[in-house]
This record gives sequence, C-alpha cells and structure tokens, in this order.
Amino acid sequence: MTAIASPAPGDVIAKPQREPVLVVSDLRAYYQTHYFGIVREVRAVDDISLHINPDEIYGLAGESSCGKTTLIKTIAGAIQPPLNVVGGSVRFNFGGAPLDVYASTPQARNAIRWRHLSYIMQGSMSVLNPVRRVRQSFIDFAFRHIGQPMPQFIDTIVAHLERLHLQANVLDAYPHELSGGMRQRVTIALATVCRPEFIIADEPTTALDVVVQKGVLAMIRGIQREIGSSMLFVTHDLAVHANLTDRLGIMYAGRIVEEGPTAEIFRAPKHPYTANLIHSLPRIGDTAPKKGLDGVPPNLAEPPPGCRFHPRCPLAMDICRRENPAMEPSGPGRRVACFAVTRGEPS
Amino acid sequence: MLSILRDLLRYNREFAAGAVLLAIVVALAAMSAFAPMPPEDVYVVPPDVPPSWAYPMGTTSRGQDVFWQLAFAIRNTLLFGFIVAILSRILSLVIGLVSGYLGGIVDRVLMSINDTFIVMPLFPILVMFYFVMKDRMSWAALALVMAGLGWAYDARLIRSIAMSLRTRQFTEQSVFSGMSTSQIVTQDHLPYVMPIVFSTTMNNINWSIGLEVTLSVLGFTNINTPTIGVMIYWANQHTAMTAGVWWWIFFPVALVIMTFIGLFLLAVSMNEYIDPRSRLSRMRGTRT
Amino acid sequence: MSEPLLEVRNVCKAFGMGGLLARYRFAAVNDVSFTIEQDRHEIFTIIGESGSGKTTLARMILNLVPMTSGSIRFRGTDLATIRRPADRLAFMGHVQPIFQNPFEAFNPLKRVDRYLFTTARRFTDARSTGEVESRADLALRKVGLSLAEVKQRFPHELSGGQLQRVAVARSLISEPSLIVADEPVSMVDASIRMSIVNLFKTLRDDLNVSIIYITHDLATAYYISDRIMIMKKGEVVESGPARTVLADPQHPYSILLRNSVLSPDAKGELLEPQFSTTERDLAGTR
Repeated sequence: MTAIASPAPGDVIAKPQREPVLVVSDLRAYYQTHYFGIVREVRAVDDISLHINPDEIYGLAGESSCGKTTLIKTIAGAIQPPLNVVGGSVRFNFGGAPLDVYASTPQARNAIRWRHLSYIMQGSMSVLNPVRRVRQSFIDFAFRHIGQPMPQFIDTIVAHLERLHLQANVLDAYPHELSGGMRQRVTIALATVCRPEFIIADEPTTALDVVVQKGVLAMIRGIQREIGSSMLFVTHDLAVHANLTDRLGIMYAGRIVEEGPTAEIFRAPKHPYTANLIHSLPRIGDTAPKKGLDGVPPNLAEPPPGCRFHPRCPLAMDICRRENPAMEPSGPGRRVACFAVTRGEPS
Repeated sequence: MLSILRDLLRYNREFAAGAVLLAIVVALAAMSAFAPMPPEDVYVVPPDVPPSWAYPMGTTSRGQDVFWQLAFAIRNTLLFGFIVAILSRILSLVIGLVSGYLGGIVDRVLMSINDTFIVMPLFPILVMFYFVMKDRMSWAALALVMAGLGWAYDARLIRSIAMSLRTRQFTEQSVFSGMSTSQIVTQDHLPYVMPIVFSTTMNNINWSIGLEVTLSVLGFTNINTPTIGVMIYWANQHTAMTAGVWWWIFFPVALVIMTFIGLFLLAVSMNEYIDPRSRLSRMRGTRT
Repeated sequence: MSEPLLEVRNVCKAFGMGGLLARYRFAAVNDVSFTIEQDRHEIFTIIGESGSGKTTLARMILNLVPMTSGSIRFRGTDLATIRRPADRLAFMGHVQPIFQNPFEAFNPLKRVDRYLFTTARRFTDARSTGEVESRADLALRKVGLSLAEVKQRFPHELSGGQLQRVAVARSLISEPSLIVADEPVSMVDASIRMSIVNLFKTLRDDLNVSIIYITHDLATAYYISDRIMIMKKGEVVESGPARTVLADPQHPYSILLRNSVLSPDAKGELLEPQFSTTERDLAGTR
C-alpha cells in the first residue's frame, strides 16, 4: 500500500497486531472426475482469499452446495481425489512456525493435527466411537499430544470437561448414553483439550434443538475466549453468525462475495445477495412481508459467465454478464465482489 | 438401455472382457443350429481322433464330433441356467418386494417360508428328486426344481431393500398421489432392486450351471440330453483321461470355465454400476 | 357449517419400547386436542423440538399411523373408520401432505411429472393426456412454475426450492381443504425459504386451504401462523393466537423456547451462558 497517509477504503484491515493464523490466497479446488470417458469439473472453491487473525471467530455462511464444506476440507488439508487443489495456497502460522499445507509433507501436516488444528463436526456420533467409552476417545485423540502420564492426563481432561460444565462421569459413559447436547459438548471438549491455535467448526449446532443450541454456542464462545484460539465457524444459519462470529464471509457459488465485521454486515449489507439474505430473515415481532430470491443457485459444473450471481441479481448490469467482479475493499475492514457496489450504479 | 450397454462396453474393462467371453460361448451355442448331425447319434464319425483340421476339437470314443457335441451341450446348459435364473428371479422379486412393502402378517408368513428354503440342504434334495423321479427327471423338471430352491437368499436381500424403501418419503408421496400398492412396488421400488437383480442373475446362472454339471457328472440327471455335465459324464464312463482322449474332457471344462468367468465379470461390473445416482451422473456427464 | 374441518380430540399415541422382558411404553403424543374450523381458512402451526411428538401427530392426522386412544375426525368422519382403499383414496383427496426434504420426496429414478399426472388421474375427472397435463400445468402455475419447466425432468435436475414447489403443486391438484406440511422449509436454502413460506400464505388467502404447519422454527411460525400450539414431549404446553403466544409466552417451556431463539439483530453480542437452564434441559432429554 502506497497511500499510508490517507486511510483509504483500500486499506483492507487495520494493521493486525499479530500475524494472521491462517492465510488463504487465490485458492482453487475443483472436483475433477473422469467416469466412462466423460470429464466433469465442479468448481466448488474458485479463487478464494481470506485470512483469520489470532483470537477471532471467522464465520462462513452460504447455502447448500455453495462450496463451504469443500473450502474447509481444503483448508484442513483433508482432500482426496476427485477433489484437487488446482491453484493457490493455504498457509498456517502457529506461533511463528509457518506451514504451507500444500507445499509440505504429509508428516508435517499430520504433526499439526489436533495439537494445533482441530475440528468440531456436525455429527458428534461420527467423532465418538459408538462402542467405546468417552474416556477412550480422549485417550485416542489427545494422549500423545498432551504428553502427560496417564493419571495427570485424566486430571487434565476432567478439569477441561469442567469448563464445559460436564462432570467427570461422562468419561465412563458410552456416546449413546448422552443426550445430543452433551455429546456435542464432549466433542467440543475433545477438540479443545489440546488448546489448539486453530479450530474448524462445521455446522456444530445444526442438529441440535434451539434450546440446547444456544447453550452450546455460548460454551464454544467461552472456551474460545479462554484458550485464545482462532476459529473458522461454518453454518448456513445467519442468526448463529450474528450472535457468535467476529467477522463474516458470505459464500455464493464457490466464491466469497462479501466479507467484513459481522455486526457491520448485518447493519449494512452491501452485496445484493447478502442484502436479500439478511432482509428476508424472519424475526419474531416483525410482521413486514419478506421476499425470497427468485431463481436457483448455479450448477458449479457450468457456472454462468461473469458474476455468478447476475442471473438472480436485481442490480445486474451489462458488465456483470461479462466479467467476474473481484473482491475489492469497501469501507473499513470490508470487502465485496460486486460491480454495482464498487463502481456505483450505472448513471 | 442400448446406450448404457455401449458405454459399459467402451469404458468398463471388466464388462467388455465378460461380454467378449460370453459372446464366444453364445456364438458356439448358436452354432448348434447348423450341426450336420443330431446330437444323440453315436458312431457318426471315426472315434478317438485328436483335434485336427477335419475335427477341430477331436472326436469322442463314442464316435461323436466334440465340436458339435459341445455346441449342443453349451446351448442346453446355458438355456438351463437362464431358465432357472429367470424363474427364481421372478419368485424372489415378487416375494421380496411384496413382503418388504406390506410388512406385518404377510411379511411374517412369507419370510418363514423363505427361511425354511434357506436352511434346506440343496444337494441331497436334488439327488432325492432324481431317485424319486428317475426317468421322468427331464431337463425341464430339473430346472423347475432348481428354480424352486434358488430364490430364497435373494428374496431376503430384496425384502430388506424394499423395507427401507417403504419408509422413504417418496413412497408416501406416491401413496398420496393415489398410486396403488402394485404401482408403487413395480414403479417406485422395482427400479431400485433391478441392478441387484441383474447382478444376482449372473450369480444364479453360475450356481445353477455348477449344480447341473455336478449332478450330471455323477449321473443324477437324464444322461441322454447333452449338457456340459453329461459330456463329462460320458467322458468319465469311457475313462477318457487315462485313455489319452484328453480333448473330450478339456474342451467342455474350458468352455464351462469361460462361461463362469464371463458371467462373474458381468456380475462384478454390474455391481459397480448399481448406485443409480452415480450411474445417472456418469452417463449424462455435463450437459451443455 | 356446524361440523369442524378437523377435530383432534384427546389423541394419544404410545409406542412399545425395549426388549422382550423390560418393555415399557413411551407416549409419543399424549392427550392432544385441537380443532380447525371449516370456514375459517388458517395456518395452524405446531411447534416442537425433536421428540415432541409433532411428526407423529402429523402422521396420525394423515391417517398413516393409527392412534392409541382418542379420535381424529375429518368433517365428522372418524379416521379410524377409513380403512378400505376407496375410502382412503377419497380421504387423500381432501387431506394432502408436504414432506420435509424435497430431495427425498421424489423418487430419484423417476421423472417428477409422474407424480403430478398420477395425482390428476386419480383425484380429478381428467382422463385424457391433454386434460391431465392441463391440470398439472394449472397447479404448477399456482406455485409459480409451469409444466414446461418440469416436464420430463428428473429430481436431480431441479433445485430444492423448485422441487418443494412441485410438491406443493402436486398436493393442490386434488383441491384439498387441508394440507399437512411437516417442516417444509427446514431443508430449503435461505434465499428461497421465504418464497416457499409466502407460498403457504397464498394458499390460505387465495385458494382457501387450511394448513397445518409443523416446525421447530419460531421465526417463520410467527411470520405466517394464525394460531400456534407448542408441544413438549408429546404434550401441548401452550396454544393460542400465534402473535400473542410468541410475543408473550406464559408457560415456562414456551418462555425458554422463545428466549433461545437467536435474534439476527444481536450485533455480534456475546451470548450470555445460561448453564442452569441448559443443564436442566439436557438432563431432561434422556
């Protein structure tokens, strides 16, 4: 940046005190299949750049099959053919030890797992082994990372469970003996017991009832603040983002279309897609008619030319049909990919 | 359907290899229509001639041309396998789908019959049939008996699929669209089990040919209708191996092994092809 | 019009659970009563979390599962007496369902238009292909689609929102007076959700259909419902006019539910942990 003197809107974010924990640059990940001689390419993650700072919860919102699950798989380095990274990079920075996920050895990638990078997934049953007691899951996941002798290790676990208001006796339970909310808290405990710098949470509360969801979200927030890790929190539920995340990225058809501080986005959404999503949210006490968007999300195997949102966009202009808008700074800490916003409406 | 076969031939090596093997076998069976002599006749050619230009597979000790004998034998054996498979498929489909969809008392009655058939030992029963019926034990009767015994496992498999299909929302959508039970079973559920039926058909043909050969070799069938098993039976009766007439045994055995491998490869490639969604996406590819 | 459209009276449904020796009965629905009037077309919402019995209740209203005790009368006819196929068919002409997951509600191996055509053949006087197709087209136009968009299509060629519209259109062909919609928008994407929800309003206002809307989402319930009924573990804890109940819930569970709804206007505020209430509820779920 040359113009340091004027705090231009081009300044993406005020200089962070510490380096970001995660930097994703120009990431492209496509599903490439060759079945019976027919080649298909689904551009699930197409040119995404983002960074996540220490001690922040970055929310990622988007509809089904917009590529958000693919994005977190790619960030976690957990991809398998037919999903391939076609370009770009994913770089972690754990306490001054940088790691480029797609330029490092599998051993180096495995070494960071759970110690520095952990996951909270939607289906708690798929994390916890259904035929073994919870204690065994903790031993499997965390014992070698914590490196304490067994009695102290168990003490550490019990102390950690207490943070999530779980009693020591859940260790002796089988997963099916716990309720859905307790099970999800156990998986949160599993993911945070090694105090990782980075946590990926994929729809962790979607399967829970609303009453339980609120409590679990509060615990995720509390424990994240306590251990000071960064979190990438993915859910399609915008109300969850409004309550939990610090910054928010909105994905549409494999791209991030808007990014900024969550409260700012909710206060004044800029991208027409975001604006519709937020304005159409029903609220208790609000009887004004809400309008959904017409049309359907594009097929990522053959996305429309130009901006992928233009067929459904009320502000679509000629240029939107030809060119793909890049993410451009728009206001403090905010970026948006929309010609109507960055170039102004046609006069 | 034709385009699916074409794509399978082009892009699936197992299917192509299996299809080629079976095509050879079927072509040989079709040759039986052009045979210069009826298969039952003996001493129509010089006996014990090794394979030569005049007799490409040699002749038997009974004065029969192995090539033409084999054409008839494989025709009968294949026909036998297909008839058993088709009859037993019909039984297992009807019983499996109805039992799985209706559930309740119908299911319990049908499945208790089914389980009885599963635990019955097949081989002694077939031998017993032979001893009871003796000369009346024709080729067709054996096929009927085998079909009656060969449906039980697959009916259970089909029932388990139908049971899970019954609880799917689209079945209820069909119910509320006013479709009758038979419509739901044949239109909604049958397509789901068809790939499995194709695959088990191949296995069932293998199974019935194998049993038929076994029974025939031991002489527990009508030894006047030429089948692969009957050919081997006669070869054994004339101690073909020790007499050095190896071609009498070698060619039928080789052909039946080809049939087995061909059917097995088809079954395997069908298995890979079972998932309907991936099938649709594979076949369609990107539509531009 | 003295007879109510639907009268649910003291309905209970119990399932036997456990093994051969340790059998116990589990009441999925316990003593539920409500009435939907014939001439007042309304959206009646049943709210509940998982395990509240709301889906079991819906299936009993659709006459898919028998009730253990109590009675459900549709225009005075007890559903328990509807057993013959012809009677069932006639009943289905009046009461139609809409299912939760549009991708599950159509056979993926079949074209979606077959559901429309069969419904038209079975429930209307249309016989020729032309008549059947025009019935289907008419119904599709009511939901903002047309037959041209749907004909010959397989479910995977349509989006979730389109499929859910087709499902609504199909249910409309027989011109039912009651539609039972079990979580019809929970699997539909956010950008399309409100157009489906608005569609239900249109059905009520323009087509005079009463709708039983089953959901766990209080916000959409507030948006479209006329009356609501809140269920917990098979029992009704509170019911009444939707906006009154949701604005000022009385029962402790309704209050808890209402307070647990995350407001989109929270402006990133920290959630205040409510361990006491959560803990109690968690303990209660087992």
